[in-house]
Amino acid sequence: MPSQEPKADSIKYGLLKFIDITGFKVFDPVVRLCFGEEPQKQLGQIGRFMIVPVIFVFCCMMLWAYVAPRHKTKSGEVPDPTQVWGALVVNDTLHKRENEKEADFLLTGEARTKKIAEVETLLKAKEAEAKTLKETIPEIAASVQSDIDASLAPVQKKYDELKATHKQEVDARKEKIKALAQSVANNEASNEQLIALLREDSVAKKEARETQKAIKEQIAAINDNPPKVLKNTQLQYSSIENEVQHLKKRLDYLNSGNRGQKVEKAEQAVVSAQEKLDAAEEPAAILAAAKSVVKGKEKVERITSQKYPRRATIWFQVWRSLFTVFIGFVLAAAIAIPVGIMCGLNKVVMACLTPLISVFKPVSPVVWLLIFQIVVGAFFPNPETHPLFVFASSLPWIGGLKVNPAMVYSACTVAMCAVWPALVNTALGVSSIDQDHLNVAKVLKLGLWARLTKIIIPSSLPLIFAGLRISLGVGWMVLIAAEALSSSDGLGKYVWDEYQNGSSQTFANIIFACFVVGIIGFFLDRIMIILQRSVSFGDGAATV
Amino acid sequence: MSQFSMEIDDASVWFGPPSQRTEVLSDINLQVQPNEFVAIIGFSGSGKSTLMNLLAGIQPASAGAVQMNGEEVTGPGPKRGILFQNYSLLPWLSVYGNIELAVKQVFPEMTAPTRKEYIQKYIDMVSLTGSEWKKPQELSGGMRQRLSLARTLSMQPEVLLLDEPLSALDALTRANLQDEIIRIWEVDRRTVIMITNDVDEAVLMADRIVALTPGPRATLGKSFDVTLDRPRDRTTLNFNPRFIELRNEVTKYMIGINEEAKALHTSTDITLPNLMPVDFNTIEKKPRKPDQPAVGAPEPVRSHGEPGRQQELVTAGVDNE
Repeated sequence: MPSQEPKADSIKYGLLKFIDITGFKVFDPVVRLCFGEEPQKQLGQIGRFMIVPVIFVFCCMMLWAYVAPRHKTKSGEVPDPTQVWGALVVNDTLHKRENEKEADFLLTGEARTKKIAEVETLLKAKEAEAKTLKETIPEIAASVQSDIDASLAPVQKKYDELKATHKQEVDARKEKIKALAQSVANNEASNEQLIALLREDSVAKKEARETQKAIKEQIAAINDNPPKVLKNTQLQYSSIENEVQHLKKRLDYLNSGNRGQKVEKAEQAVVSAQEKLDAAEEPAAILAAAKSVVKGKEKVERITSQKYPRRATIWFQVWRSLFTVFIGFVLAAAIAIPVGIMCGLNKVVMACLTPLISVFKPVSPVVWLLIFQIVVGAFFPNPETHPLFVFASSLPWIGGLKVNPAMVYSACTVAMCAVWPALVNTALGVSSIDQDHLNVAKVLKLGLWARLTKIIIPSSLPLIFAGLRISLGVGWMVLIAAEALSSSDGLGKYVWDEYQNGSSQTFANIIFACFVVGIIGFFLDRIMIILQRSVSFGDGAATV
Repeated sequence: MSQFSMEIDDASVWFGPPSQRTEVLSDINLQVQPNEFVAIIGFSGSGKSTLMNLLAGIQPASAGAVQMNGEEVTGPGPKRGILFQNYSLLPWLSVYGNIELAVKQVFPEMTAPTRKEYIQKYIDMVSLTGSEWKKPQELSGGMRQRLSLARTLSMQPEVLLLDEPLSALDALTRANLQDEIIRIWEVDRRTVIMITNDVDEAVLMADRIVALTPGPRATLGKSFDVTLDRPRDRTTLNFNPRFIELRNEVTKYMIGINEEAKALHTSTDITLPNLMPVDFNTIEKKPRKPDQPAVGAPEPVRSHGEPGRQQELVTAGVDNE
């Protein structure tokens, strides 16, 4: 069908262009293959540029999985890929549980009673499961122990035998030495003979020790590496126990901890206080009763506006970090672009700013963070009542992210470190504008504003965006350090807290966070690439 | 119809500090009548583009003046539309956008619908209809120069300055655009000054050809009136004896001045005196007191240390001879 041909082509080229713009050039042959373009060539391309890299990454993972458990550290073994994957699952479960608890906290009426029944049956089932599992543990432990004993017995026997023979040998040699010493005293043997015998004895002792040590090590190895069954069962049990705890907590939030219930209780207290007030006759009693009514009403109000105290889960930390880096990045861009344009346009401005740029550019983010903590901190003596934070917490999306001074310092630090690449690139872009374009502006007698908006900014946009891309990368990297140091909630603080709390999960969580940071950084970079390509022209623009 | 003449009076352009002044153009004198098409022909590197920038006002004259209708040119402006050799299009704007930028700037009072129509008229004029929303990098070289021409014409310049507009194009496109420019000029006559390095092009298009002598210190040479009737047809022109004669005349003249310039160049070469390096051993042969440093004693020897030691070294040199 001839009419179908161009349509398929337009879809194909549209897809190819999209892939090119987003920087996923690797998928180019896949698209072409789907449209049946030179399959042989495309398959070759896929093999070389997709399958080989995938195999390589897989090999790296295998190497990691092999090396990690063999390196013992103070906080346990280095986690292997499966453990890191486990950390992802655990963190995600924590997040989901928080969601469930929050929902439970807010449930009211019919839905609540229904939910209680549901959770209770679930709890019963889990408790039963936990119980049976708990009962099996001693059995498994006993069988594991007997296994160990069984495999230990021959080695132990060998060890005991060896010890006995060694003792006999030692005794025999002792006798011999004694006899020789006697004969030396009687001048029947020489001193040299005695010394030789003693040396022989010490060598034999050493050899005996070595052989004993080797067997001891064997015993220790058997003891240290019991079959995984027991450990796995224990882990399974603890995870079920964990869930049981969670379900209990949920019941708590559905019953006494439920907001609706709390409000009801407080309201009842108000009613009884009201009754007391009506019944009271003495002026002092009336006053006291009235006071308790007022207090009770205030309590009701307070409880009604209460929010569920969410624990910071990993995904919350991700959103908060993203928000912080966004604020910092916008700040950096807002400073870098105008200042960069001024630098590019005017050599005097450039000369004025060059010393500042050269001195402050290499300063470490940690130093900036401390400076901002002091300087910016002075603006927020009472963070709870400061209009900025009150306003931020009233906003629909941002309110949940808990904007606080620590976030402001982190954002400022990000901005300070991210401003330089954007500034330098903007200045370069503006100062290296094509003379031909300036001639056009001259001939057209464009005013300063028109020259800026029509000629200078459009022509330097590709370089400005290239700078912004570097800035965002730098900002994201700096942010993690800033959050760790300023304990502003976010991925940085998550890593830091994990490092501090030192549970068995810690190490896996840190490596998991490392991947999260990396993957988010990758996507941020891709977004910037897309923006950069969309403003580029000529050679820099996407071409298919 | 334009009523604007151009005039250059004793203009010179030089660059660099006073001690090392490079004079690119020297004592340029040119009068262009209203509606006249003048071609300035010169070798590459003879300061053609500087001359064009001088006419446009982008390059101020170091001495002398450029006048348009008796008024001195102090800076660039849309009244003198310039067509650049490398198109000077804005790559982030479409064909329409490039023209629109110029039109908006030159005719700010124009209403939106009129402007649209006006821009379309110029796009149609240079046969770019259908490519309105293409970006310059999607156009061929010829199309780009057409767009550049449309943009320049849309400013309705009184004087049109063409700075080697066709030299970056291939021969076929070039011929095509030559015809196009002439066609547009015939319809809407105005004063044109074109710079070129192609004698055929000059003879085909211009009313008058002025030669630019090779630089540095380029100046305008002989002027040739082209008295061929318009419209000139390139297919029959090759057999026109007057055309052939004129072309040969101009070519001969150009080659002549080039050779003359070359000859001039050799004569300005500074002949260096035939210097020979000084043989220090011959100087040191003259007997003198040990403490007294010899006049013109070689620097490297002195750096070896105290005078006594120096004497030693020197004697050693003498012994070797």
